[in-house]
Amino acid sequence: MTREGAVNAVILALLAAVALAGAAGDRPFLVTLAAKVAILGLAGVGLNIALGFGGLVSFGHAAFFGLGGYVAGILASHAQNYEPVAEWPITIAGTQEMLIIWPAALAACALAAAVIGALSLRTSGIFFIMITLAFAQMLYYFAISWPAYGGEDGLPIYLRNAFPGLDTMDGLQFFALCLAALVLGVGLSWRLRDSRFGLALEAARQNPERVAAVGIRVFRVRLAAFVISAAITGLAGALYADLNRFVSPAMLSWQTSGELIVLVILGGVGRLWGPVAGAGLFVFLEHVLGGVSEYWQALLGLMLLGVVLFARGGLLGLLAGARRHG
Amino acid sequence: MSAVLIIEQVLNGLQFGVMLFLMAAGLTLVFGVMGLINLAHGSLYMIGAFACAAVAMATGSFWLGLAASIAASAAAGALIEVAVIRRLYDRDHLDQVLATFALILVFSEGTRWVFGSFPLYLDPPEGLSGAVTLPGGIDYPLYRLAIIVAGLAVAAGLFWLIGGTRLGIRIRAGESDREMIAALGVNIAALYTVVFALGAGLAGLAGAMVGAIQSVQVGMGEPVLILAFVVIVIGGVGSVAGALVGALLVGLTDTLGRFLLPVAFGAILPPSEAMGVGSALASMLIYLLMAVVLIFRPQGLFGARA
Amino acid sequence: MAETVLELAGLSKSFGALRATDGVSLTLRRGEIHALIGPNGAGKSTLIRQITGEIAPDSGTIRFMGRDLTGLDMPARARAGLARSFQVSSVASEFTALQNVVLAVLGASGRVFGFLAPAMADLRLVGPARAHLGRVGLSGREAVRAADLSHGERRRLELAMALALRPKAFLLDEPMAGMGPEGAREMTALLAGLKREAPILLVEHDMDAVFALADRISVLVYGRIIATGTVAEIRADPAVREAYLGEEA
Repeated sequence: MTREGAVNAVILALLAAVALAGAAGDRPFLVTLAAKVAILGLAGVGLNIALGFGGLVSFGHAAFFGLGGYVAGILASHAQNYEPVAEWPITIAGTQEMLIIWPAALAACALAAAVIGALSLRTSGIFFIMITLAFAQMLYYFAISWPAYGGEDGLPIYLRNAFPGLDTMDGLQFFALCLAALVLGVGLSWRLRDSRFGLALEAARQNPERVAAVGIRVFRVRLAAFVISAAITGLAGALYADLNRFVSPAMLSWQTSGELIVLVILGGVGRLWGPVAGAGLFVFLEHVLGGVSEYWQALLGLMLLGVVLFARGGLLGLLAGARRHG
Repeated sequence: MSAVLIIEQVLNGLQFGVMLFLMAAGLTLVFGVMGLINLAHGSLYMIGAFACAAVAMATGSFWLGLAASIAASAAAGALIEVAVIRRLYDRDHLDQVLATFALILVFSEGTRWVFGSFPLYLDPPEGLSGAVTLPGGIDYPLYRLAIIVAGLAVAAGLFWLIGGTRLGIRIRAGESDREMIAALGVNIAALYTVVFALGAGLAGLAGAMVGAIQSVQVGMGEPVLILAFVVIVIGGVGSVAGALVGALLVGLTDTLGRFLLPVAFGAILPPSEAMGVGSALASMLIYLLMAVVLIFRPQGLFGARA
Repeated sequence: MAETVLELAGLSKSFGALRATDGVSLTLRRGEIHALIGPNGAGKSTLIRQITGEIAPDSGTIRFMGRDLTGLDMPARARAGLARSFQVSSVASEFTALQNVVLAVLGASGRVFGFLAPAMADLRLVGPARAHLGRVGLSGREAVRAADLSHGERRRLELAMALALRPKAFLLDEPMAGMGPEGAREMTALLAGLKREAPILLVEHDMDAVFALADRISVLVYGRIIATGTVAEIRADPAVREAYLGEEA
């Protein structure tokens, strides 16, 4: 096993151990934190496909995280009220089945990303950053001013959505579900990175002109990456809504977009398990620094400045050495 | 709906637009000259507002507050340029985003620590309170009118500065060829600090002027920052003229949309629904405007073709 | 006369007042190396960029294998069989030499959207890529990062990437640039063998190489072609001597 592989195994074991210890020691708080790490990790794994592999600095992934959350929240709220989501042209009933909610969230986010990506990818660099940020802000304001689903107040989910054979209200079982989704997400991003598509995507990050000169349309490759990336982040959003049993516009806010980027970078950009390490570190800091001072985000900001200016490569860069290729 | 109401909304849109211009001008200059994306620009806006409110409260003078806002935000701008930003010019955009995002966290929490979480309130100066009657019998708040005039005056000053002064020549030269002006003996580091502080001062001025209309609180800067990004995307990165046109477009579209769309939907929907649908769509209007510009002119209205 | 592969007719391109390309007509025939020479600023690179599709000409046509290229973008032209090397080495620098050539084989295959199977374990990609690296003499350097290759090796890597496109014509923009005499000799030998595969439009400053390799030469001055002919004809042409060789002396 390589050093990076060993570090990855330790991350996974640590996460499971925290959840198990929390369940055994009757500290459900720890189980919830572990689930939060798994979910934010999954959101980061999604973002990493665009940001790490593709070099597409999306400052708007909260749009997909929140959209996934709202798909879960809206479908659940209709199921709770026994009112169909739509009656025309076809009747769509609300549902609390995750196996229906997840594909719906994936599809909604893929569709939104196809539109946002098609517009944003007409540009690059600083333009791309500003435009993705702006479109996410558009959804944020839309969620605030659209009164049907709680507006500014958000939307509660009274009972967690259901998964066949599991009691999702049980913290440990819900954590296991999140962990399974995370492992699937990391597995997918691993296969993706090494695939034909991944090769073209990583090459387009390094030298888009060269990629076009060998006959590959960079725009299409990047758009596909953006859509896949958004869908995975959206799935994480659906899980996050279930974790909190609550969706609010905050999931769509620019702070969320920033935090997603931060956790990908803290972990180590472009690495398969980087976002998970970053999510762990982020949640850990939130609670440790949060205990030190209510102004913990200022400390986070200073740390982040330090990482950016002096320790590029993130946590996995420190633990597992420089990134290898080939 | 009367013409008076519409004119009033147009003026509100102009006032919003000139504010956005003050924000966008600094951002677009910093990008054009230094190639840097600065997310912390909203923090400088916030610092201007807090400095104005604090000094106005302590001294009783809005005008001293206004001077303090420019001084404080320009000083904060110069400080972060020297301490952090100048290390980022040669970095990629991702590093710039992260570092300036970190600066937002530091500034926001720092301000919360000093001033607390409750909003401060700032009154317009006495000479500018009350309403003025415009030709046509329209009563309009004098202070808002003053903001429009001040904003346009600053815009004119900025165009003069860039078009007609030595500093402006250097700034424009810096946009096109960094090595060349360095070879000509211009102190690039100092020039960058001055440009950054200038942009910061404009943002602080905007924050202070708006602070007397809205409340002064932590987090007030970022929504305006993101709107300024929309302005820049529409106007074209690096173009001050584009920033002015984009800002007025965004200001007018947003204000008139929020006013007119609910009215328009009122014609086909019951009033309560019309309000909801209209305002939800109005909140998306400027982003749709941005999307249209992206489809037809991805480089922005005044941007050079890449 | 051999079949014409690439034909430029009346190509013009202006940047503001500058006429960078001024009514250029030129053919590239099967089996030949056609060298394009001219002083700096003559518009050689601008011409190449119009052929690859990077910039659009203001007027004139480009026909390739009997087909009008107008309206085709860069990737489409590459897939039609126009392989180019860049004036300044352009590779994916974090990738290994092998990965770079696999990328080119992938581009030529047109099947980029494979999401699950590992590309570097796919013999349909890696097999040809190894062969192309072998042809340019980089077999032993497969696993080296492109950034760590020497300048000359990177030039040859680019050539391997061009080969991977199974090209019907090569557009080579100064392949000898920055090479020592030894590297230039190796590259000259390589190019001489390459022209049997597909004709080469060669932009080059190294006159020894040009005179050794070229079957025909066109001289570009201020965006215009002032002479086209064999090496001997060009050497003897008074207009060339005055406009171009005269400047060199």
